[in-house]
Amino acid sequence: MEELIISNDNLKKIVHELLNNDCRVIGTTAENKFKEIESADELVLNPGSVPTGSSFKEYFFPKTEPLFFYKQNHSNVDLFDPIPDKSKIVVLGAKPCDAAALPIISKVFNWDYKDDLFNSRLDNSLIIGMSCHYSDEFCFCNDIGGSPENMKGSDVFLKPLADNYFKVTSITPKGEAFIKEYQKYFEKDLGKNKPIERKVENPKHFDYDKVKTWLDNNFENKFWDTAGEMCLGCAQCAFVCPTCHCFDIIDEQNGSCAGRRAKNWDACQFSLFTKHASGHNPRDNQEKRYRQRISHKFKYYMDKFDEVLCTGCGRCSRGCPVSLDILQVVEEINSLPENSNSIQ
Amino acid sequence: MNELKQICKDALTEKKARFIIGYKEDKNKRVKPFIAKTPEDAEKLTFSHHAVNNLAVYLSRFKNNIDGKIGIVVKSCDLKAVTALIQENQIKRDDLFIIGVNCSGVVLDVAKEFNKDNTQIKCKYCQAKTPPYYDALAEESKEFEMPDDDQAELMAKIDKMTAEERLEFWNAEFEKCIKCYACRQVCPMCYCEKCIVEKSEPQWIDSSSTSRGNFSWNIIRAFHQAGRCIGCHECERACPMGIPLTLLTRKMGMVAFSEFGYRHGTSLTEPTLIGTYSTSDKEDFIK
Ligand code: SF4
Ligand code: SF4
Ligand code: SF4
Ligand code: SF4
Ligand code: SF4
Repeated sequence: MEELIISNDNLKKIVHELLNNDCRVIGTTAENKFKEIESADELVLNPGSVPTGSSFKEYFFPKTEPLFFYKQNHSNVDLFDPIPDKSKIVVLGAKPCDAAALPIISKVFNWDYKDDLFNSRLDNSLIIGMSCHYSDEFCFCNDIGGSPENMKGSDVFLKPLADNYFKVTSITPKGEAFIKEYQKYFEKDLGKNKPIERKVENPKHFDYDKVKTWLDNNFENKFWDTAGEMCLGCAQCAFVCPTCHCFDIIDEQNGSCAGRRAKNWDACQFSLFTKHASGHNPRDNQEKRYRQRISHKFKYYMDKFDEVLCTGCGRCSRGCPVSLDILQVVEEINSLPENSNSIQ
Repeated sequence: MNELKQICKDALTEKKARFIIGYKEDKNKRVKPFIAKTPEDAEKLTFSHHAVNNLAVYLSRFKNNIDGKIGIVVKSCDLKAVTALIQENQIKRDDLFIIGVNCSGVVLDVAKEFNKDNTQIKCKYCQAKTPPYYDALAEESKEFEMPDDDQAELMAKIDKMTAEERLEFWNAEFEKCIKCYACRQVCPMCYCEKCIVEKSEPQWIDSSSTSRGNFSWNIIRAFHQAGRCIGCHECERACPMGIPLTLLTRKMGMVAFSEFGYRHGTSLTEPTLIGTYSTSDKEDFIK
């Protein structure tokens, strides 16, 4: 296939057309937030910016969504399905650590039960990723098999070139169809616009296989007594994370005889998360809950789905009110002797 | 700094405190909460403009499982939370070893340098840069440039709004809430073992993050802080969605003061506003 480039202006023209065609466009704004944009002018693509505060997962896995509605009618209860949202979703400007999360969480949403709500949104979506020119002390995509140029999860990938141009790579059939549909906006790459070089290094911090091995053997290690000691048990980390996917199912009344069953975000750092109906709570302190967070990401998910449940975006650490830094915790695990398997 | 380390080292050696909740700097130079359990640990303790956390939040968690005193490093504003917890019978003064620090203001954004534009508004109104009481005192207080109080301007604007406009303002803010409860978890005054949002028989507050659920959560949180918030600003700092939470709690603190002359957390002996009544209290709300 021939090499293509696109100008920022033409990208905006595509966005304009998409919006006119009732497509939902999720993009980054001047405040560096993902948002459902209403006009092409709102879109700001800046490869040099820090990852947004929150990931864009809510457009695929909303913070709350109805599973069904009920209405009681004397002795009958009528159930209604929610009207499925079939609109097309285009995500623009996803960083590699954002885009990579979708195929990762797709595995859990398609494990024993196929989650139609998640799947239909994903099927109707197109992810336009962009290489990343940012890196701070919280970033670690390189350590878990990603990189600032990684295309996992993207259908189309952009790399910044001089003079507000992007080099375009199509990765999936969906991406190819998209480029074909809007081909008038793309130009042949004649090599005139030089690639913008990434200025910052992404150092290597740990070896995730080594971390996994340690986690396999050290569930009771005294390391856990202090690792999560200062954690306050909020869910900031889980809710801004692109890969955290836990949810709760609740029934909610609205009026006396009607209501809905809803699927809401939940998090393993909440004390109620594992509380049994009997009152027993197997994770009865924050230290154990923090161990769960790390183990789910770097062990359990690997055991089950052969993926690290983390893309290294660093969001959880940047926003943590007590500056608990997941990278430093994992680095420390990486430096511990492999067989310190004892309750000391 | 050496003074702080020395005080804490001595306190741990002489068993004046079982452990000390303080701050340390990590390898990325982030200042964060840390518990020193041994005299060697005390070497890691530090204090700076970046020591923003109100460590009193940890008292409710640790108070039950200790023999001996809990040591805690507090700024003057944090001490208000400690005092408030004592006033509310959550902890006893005698169970604490309080290491006060003379403070020269703290940052708003922990990722940036301390300067006039990166100073918390509470510091502008700080009554005492030296905590009013303590068991040991460390650090030196330095003069610093006072920040602008943008929040007061916004409060004045909101005061002038009609009820509908206000509702619209807050609906737009609360719409952003994702119910992560970071605001609750960082708050030293939010110590209920079972928060009202966790009560499901009956369900008082919708647990869903819908407009209704978000509104009721944020309003109930604010209500429960009426006359209790000590103004540490931690809730707003922790909120990942950038909701201006202290607008509500600060306003209520101002009302508690103008109507009842009461400021929570400023006296160890004064009965709490919510926990007492006086025959001279106004009752003009009962009509
Ligand atoms: S790690 Fe930080 S953000 Fe996550 S629950 Fe603990 S305190 Fe909250
Ligand atoms: S755990 Fe933290 S670093 Fe990993 S994907 Fe989630 S937010 Fe990003
Ligand atoms: S309010 Fe006072 S004690 Fe608290 S951080 Fe500001 S200057 Fe320091
Ligand atoms: S409500 Fe906010 S400002 Fe008030 S005491 Fe709690 S955390 Fe501090
Ligand atoms: S911290 Fe912010 S987003 Fe989280 S529950 Fe509180 S108000 Fe909502």
